[in-house]
Amino acid sequence: MATQDVGAGPRPSPAPAPAPFRITGTRELMLRLPRASPLVRLVSLSSRLTGCASRRERALLGAAAGVHHGRGTEGRETGKTLLWLPLSGAKMRNVFEVMLLLLLLLLPLVTAHAGGQPNSPPGKPVLTSCRSPEKETFTCWWKPGSDGGLSTKHSLFYRKESSDAVHECPDYRTAGENSCFFNKNNTAIWVNYNITVVATNSLGSAYSDPVEVDVVYIVQPNPPENVTVSVMEDKGWPFLRVSWEPPRKADTRSGWITLVYELRVKLKEEDDWETHLAGQQKMFNILSLPSGGEYQVEVRCRPDHGFWSEWSSTSKANVPHHFRRDNSTWILMTVFFAFTFLIVAWLLHLNRHNLKRCILPPVPGPKIKGFDKKLLKSGKSNEIFSALVVPDYPSTPSSNYEDLLVDYLEVYVPTERELQLEESKDPHDDRLKSDSSTSDSDSGRGSCDSHTLLVDKEAKEEARQAECGQTRTEVQRSLKDWDALTYAQIDMVGRDVPSGRVKTWPSLYSPLPRHSSGPLDQQSSLQMAKQHSLSTSSFLAQEASGESYWDVCSHGELPRPLRAKTPPHRGLRARSDADVSGAGLKRAPAGPRSLAPHTSEYVEVQRVNNKDVVLLQPVVTGCYQALPGEVYSKVKRVDSDNILLLQREAREEDGYPGAEQENTTQKASACVYAAVLVQDQMAPMVNGYVDTATMCTLTC
Amino acid sequence: MARHTGTFGSKLLPTVLYMVAACSAIPITDLLDRASQRSDQLHSLSTTLTQDLDSHLPLTVRLTLPRPSVCHTASLQTPNDKEQALQVPESDLLSLARSLLQAWEDPLVFLSTSANFLPHPAQNAISNKIQELRDHSKSLGDGLNILSGKMGPGARTISMLPYTGGNDVGQDTISQLINLNFLLSCFRRDSHKIDSFLKILRCRATGLPQMC
Repeated sequence: MATQDVGAGPRPSPAPAPAPFRITGTRELMLRLPRASPLVRLVSLSSRLTGCASRRERALLGAAAGVHHGRGTEGRETGKTLLWLPLSGAKMRNVFEVMLLLLLLLLPLVTAHAGGQPNSPPGKPVLTSCRSPEKETFTCWWKPGSDGGLSTKHSLFYRKESSDAVHECPDYRTAGENSCFFNKNNTAIWVNYNITVVATNSLGSAYSDPVEVDVVYIVQPNPPENVTVSVMEDKGWPFLRVSWEPPRKADTRSGWITLVYELRVKLKEEDDWETHLAGQQKMFNILSLPSGGEYQVEVRCRPDHGFWSEWSSTSKANVPHHFRRDNSTWILMTVFFAFTFLIVAWLLHLNRHNLKRCILPPVPGPKIKGFDKKLLKSGKSNEIFSALVVPDYPSTPSSNYEDLLVDYLEVYVPTERELQLEESKDPHDDRLKSDSSTSDSDSGRGSCDSHTLLVDKEAKEEARQAECGQTRTEVQRSLKDWDALTYAQIDMVGRDVPSGRVKTWPSLYSPLPRHSSGPLDQQSSLQMAKQHSLSTSSFLAQEASGESYWDVCSHGELPRPLRAKTPPHRGLRARSDADVSGAGLKRAPAGPRSLAPHTSEYVEVQRVNNKDVVLLQPVVTGCYQALPGEVYSKVKRVDSDNILLLQREAREEDGYPGAEQENTTQKASACVYAAVLVQDQMAPMVNGYVDTATMCTLTC
Repeated sequence: MARHTGTFGSKLLPTVLYMVAACSAIPITDLLDRASQRSDQLHSLSTTLTQDLDSHLPLTVRLTLPRPSVCHTASLQTPNDKEQALQVPESDLLSLARSLLQAWEDPLVFLSTSANFLPHPAQNAISNKIQELRDHSKSLGDGLNILSGKMGPGARTISMLPYTGGNDVGQDTISQLINLNFLLSCFRRDSHKIDSFLKILRCRATGLPQMC
């Protein structure tokens, strides 16, 4: 408080206490008012004092008047208001009066200030929140502002969206202090409420900021109720089962509200909760309980589009202590097993070679001589197999295969002597007796022995020696039988056949067994001859030690001799001790048999008589010499009448084969070449062999 | 060739019949469950969208400036409280839901086009969310169409609620934002209505109150 000595005025003694105002030397009146005291409206006073209130004064006073109660020191800094009022010295008495008046005025204010609430219009209330617990009702709360020292009344007004009517809150009490409760009748959903709170007191009213509320967005249900926790056991492991119910007021049964729940659990002594989301269900199992003790559980809920409720009251449960067979035990066991495993693996590693030998024994490789694994890998089969080939296996035949082929047949013709002998022995012997003594034991004729070809070298000799004339056979039979006997046709060389057909079959004739003896019926002999010829047909004589020959001697007119000639080397050995003769009429008494056994004799067809009988006669030995080159060993073809056309063997002389038939006339000699046997040329025949049986069937 | 198509056709017909039978074999409860899940997503999306748009607009401005007061779907009579809602028959509830959804087809198109020019910092995110809204809305509409076939003749009727807001979004930024904000708030409310109706229907369809 600075005072200034201006004039000659008496120096005022320093004031013992600061007076509310002082009069300074200048003509200024300084009024100091207490800080918190409201200002007195001094406009009228000051204007009265000075007559003209300066603008500044008026502003100050106005500002002071406009300050709200309780707003603090707005517009006022020091609590001091200075009023400088210009004063004239002449009016000092008036000043004094003014001061007294001021004092009088200030006093009640001061006393009033020291005593109770200052009067001011209420402060602005604030709407804090509006909530609806079940989407059917809602409540709004506000926070009142300062009441201005007077009794302030708050009222809530609302206006619905589409109407302009303003309504007041129907219920201020239900929800407590500073609240407004809207019951079901007053609650409309999907409608915006414009809510305002007004605070009024005697001095004025204050309006809060309006708030737009749609009930459906402000739903916050009550906490769930009846939360029960029970301890249950699953395979010796305890767990908690929590169940609850939705808050009573929320209507979930009709689907009006859909609630979602959440719970939290902790041990009593812990601080952190473990939360679980339970969805819409009303029961939950807590499985992961670390240990025993007392557990605390709380549940809360929330609508699908709304706010979380408060946590329910805590439910407690005591879980018995259980052996914590989880973490530490498993860790120990794992470590132990890992350690053991490492040791075992190390041991195995050290002994891997032994183990390898034990578990996977070496597989023996292929030990084939000449087998080369590398060649096999290279994949060239030719080289592999050529390496495998042992030089001298298989044994290749030095000669060619043709040696193995039997291409001729030996027909054995028994000599007269033999026939006689045999006849004497047993005239009615079965002709089928095989002549084992004279048979050759080899040359691949195994089964052909008995009724088959009988090769006899000795017989050949004897046959040679036998006179042609002695043995005569008159073959008298039908052509058919002749077919049966032989099956080769020998071309006549320059012969005229009276009947036009000459058939001689010396070559492939299977002779009857040698010791067939006795006068035989021609037919039976022929039959035997058939049999022989059967076997003959399949038979190829290897041995060509003699000529194949016949000896058929026939009596009577035999205009033409037919010579059967076979090469000496490979010949047909016909051996027949059968009576090939015909009716045996003209048998030589000496020799019932016409055929010469064992001898190579030539058969000559003398004639073919009217009865279609070929009469044979022994051939002059001059014709003996076989032309070595002329070997008729191949059958060229078979005529329809079962006539075999023989041809010269192609092997020895080429070019000949076909010529034979044409050149028959050229031959000077009447030799007829006996055909040698068989094979492939007889295509129509079975297997290439001449099957006399079939021939017989064909012709018979 | 004719024979080939004939065999194909003969195979097609039983397949189609089987599929139709299988589709109709889906119980209504499942269909309603799916539909209510879809509507729940729709409403959540619209809520976040409104909040995003509001964040940029100061509260005072929002309140003081005039805004359109009535949504274009306000003409549709919907229940105002729980008693009324629970008294509405199911087919009518479904019809209301379908009508509301149908009414927002065009406005959503308008929203998405205007969102492209929105003077908002999060314009891209908002544009994407509006597109999501359209997709969800479309699939929900398809589902409700299927449902309507199973719930009686009343469910098939749809009230037409044309969008009369036009294509004018406003001249300046503030009015643009305000108009869009208002449109989205209308959509948020209607999507909540659809969601509520479907959940009521779902609960009724199960027949077990304790399951709701």
